[in-house]
Amino acid sequence: MPSRSINTWHLRLIVLHALACLPLLARAQANYEIQVYGAETVPPQTLMVELHSNFTVEGQQQAVSGVLPTYHQEHETVELTEGINDWSEVGFYIFTSEQDGHGVQWVGDHIRPRVRVPDSWGWPVGVSLSTEIGFQRSAYSTDTWTWEIRPIIDKSIGRWYFAVNPALERTLHGPDVNQGLGFAPSAKISYDFTRVVSGGIEWYADYGAIGNISPVHNQQQQVFVVTDLNVSPLWEINIGVGIGATGSTDHLIVKAILGRRFDWGRHSPID
Amino acid sequence: MISRRDLLKLPGLVGLASSFPAFAGDLAAPDYKIDIAPVTLDLSPRHKLKTTAYNGQVPGSLLRLKENQPVTIEVTNRTDRPEVVHWHGLFTPSDVDGAMEEGTPPIAVNSTTRYTFSPRPAGFRWYHTHTMAMDDLTRAQYGGQHGFLMIEPRENPARYDQEFFLALHDWGGYMLASDDGAMNPSYAVATINGKAMGFGEPLRVKQGQRILLHVLNSSPTEVHWIALAGHSLRVLALDGNSVPTPRTVPMLRLAPAERVSVLAEMNNPGVWVLGEVRKHVQALGMAVAVEYEDRRGPAHWEQPSELIWNYEQFAAAQPVGQSSDPPIIVPLVFEAKFRGHGAMEAWMINGSSYPNARVAPLIRGKRYRLQFINKSADDHPLHLHRHSFELRSLGTPLAAAQGTSRMDIRGIIKDVVLVDSQTRAEVEFTADNPGATLFHCHQQNHMDLGFMMLLDYA
Repeated sequence: MPSRSINTWHLRLIVLHALACLPLLARAQANYEIQVYGAETVPPQTLMVELHSNFTVEGQQQAVSGVLPTYHQEHETVELTEGINDWSEVGFYIFTSEQDGHGVQWVGDHIRPRVRVPDSWGWPVGVSLSTEIGFQRSAYSTDTWTWEIRPIIDKSIGRWYFAVNPALERTLHGPDVNQGLGFAPSAKISYDFTRVVSGGIEWYADYGAIGNISPVHNQQQQVFVVTDLNVSPLWEINIGVGIGATGSTDHLIVKAILGRRFDWGRHSPID
Repeated sequence: MISRRDLLKLPGLVGLASSFPAFAGDLAAPDYKIDIAPVTLDLSPRHKLKTTAYNGQVPGSLLRLKENQPVTIEVTNRTDRPEVVHWHGLFTPSDVDGAMEEGTPPIAVNSTTRYTFSPRPAGFRWYHTHTMAMDDLTRAQYGGQHGFLMIEPRENPARYDQEFFLALHDWGGYMLASDDGAMNPSYAVATINGKAMGFGEPLRVKQGQRILLHVLNSSPTEVHWIALAGHSLRVLALDGNSVPTPRTVPMLRLAPAERVSVLAEMNNPGVWVLGEVRKHVQALGMAVAVEYEDRRGPAHWEQPSELIWNYEQFAAAQPVGQSSDPPIIVPLVFEAKFRGHGAMEAWMINGSSYPNARVAPLIRGKRYRLQFINKSADDHPLHLHRHSFELRSLGTPLAAAQGTSRMDIRGIIKDVVLVDSQTRAEVEFTADNPGATLFHCHQQNHMDLGFMMLLDYA
């Protein structure tokens, strides 16, 4: 019947579209740590403990290629970052997900060494380079082993803060292993309303493979309205609400980062 | 025949000369000349730096002047900006004190000015530029424009065999975010007399000598802690003024613009490090070797385990004579003004920044008690021009009730005092040198951003 033919045709289109979007849907699962990095590293003999809490209010509602839907997923990520010296650090992530019917699940782990240009070099902008490698379970990402290299450039001018992270991603194991480098930039601009309260915009994108940029519909484009609360040098608080502007992006996410710095070394005034 | 000095001793002419330095300078050749000009410094084998200096050297020439004996110093400005030279710690008239805010004329680009004054009081003073740097961390006090000034008393009672003048300085400033939520200068190199450790000449001494060290902190912003390994230091004077109770101490603390004069007995032969106590600062170069005769080899350092210093230990054991008239109390509240995490803070005294910060005019002959109420997160080295003050109390927590001071200090005369964050301190001075008088924090970035106030006489 004509009507049935049309429905079948539509169904085929939907399946084809979903397959085309697979790599990006996989990346869409990466809402475990939503943060634009600043160039500064954690000081030596200091451990930064951060909890990233992200809740997808509106997201993917169907499982695709065995990957669980993001809709109403609560992601809790513990990030531990240890300062090595005054120009390097190592971060370690524990990703978890909670969702009705699935309970609390371990998703994966990443490790992230980072180096930066020392302040004493007197560069006009802060510059650092982060690399991140890790595993995530196939139930949460079709690509189970991934690698990322993230240049970080930032600058504070008076009350304004600017940061850009033109990150490059590579799948080491999974369907996208032959896709090459992907381009996933992010950026932030914020303004200090007071010494404590800053507000701004964060932007996260994924354009797909370099040399084979995805159509706009298949790209990820997220914009968050955020506030940073600088209540103490020991604490880091970032809260934001983000919307996804393309069909491949989760449409509404609420995020929060709560960080606490612990000085575990013996900090003597004579040091 | 009347010499220039004889002429200037004539009543009235001294004051006239002081009032019109250029006129006074025309009478004869100057006693000293200072050229302000760009220079390239070799701070260490790895650090070559372009800066501005006095007479092509850092520190500038040591000027030895006689107390109350008029002197003429000719200064030529070979830089591309107006300059002024401040005679720090002297009781000079406002128009030669060397602060444009007080009315001292600037030295125009490529021009020459003469400063003529009768230097007093005796003691270890210094001279330096009194210009603004703002965001340029190479200018003003961030550069090399500082030199020693020794005002000799008619009779010098100090007994010593050798005398050394040492200037502590920080170079290569860059902005760094700090825990107070604002940007602050940090430094790439730290030196003593313009040389990093191992690059300058050692202080050569002989066993049995008593050496007199005059230490100046000419840093634009940093407090420094200094020790001489293997030796202790007997503090004789603070800011060039003898202390009532000399004490032997393991180390010195000097805020920007402070001076400490100490005696050290050379009774431990070897090669020793005289340097910053804090490891990270000494690693930047702030140290010099003290080398006994016939001793060679690497300089030895003994790392202290803590920082020890307080002003109070040098106070008079018994209260000195007290004026019957209670002083006029002038509360001064210091607060920061946030300008963004990417900027340095601005500063306010009693709610206003320079030039709007004001207090009632001083009355000549009256005794004043300045109450420093530091509500900010920073410590401040506070300097009063053209006068000395007596420390009266220090370190009183702001939470303590008004009127309660941690202790009553007497007999310590200074022109700079470091007031800790969130504390109250009190100093007293007599308004006995009429003329516009500048009061400010001696941290270059603080005075640049409003931490100054002009005191007028009625």
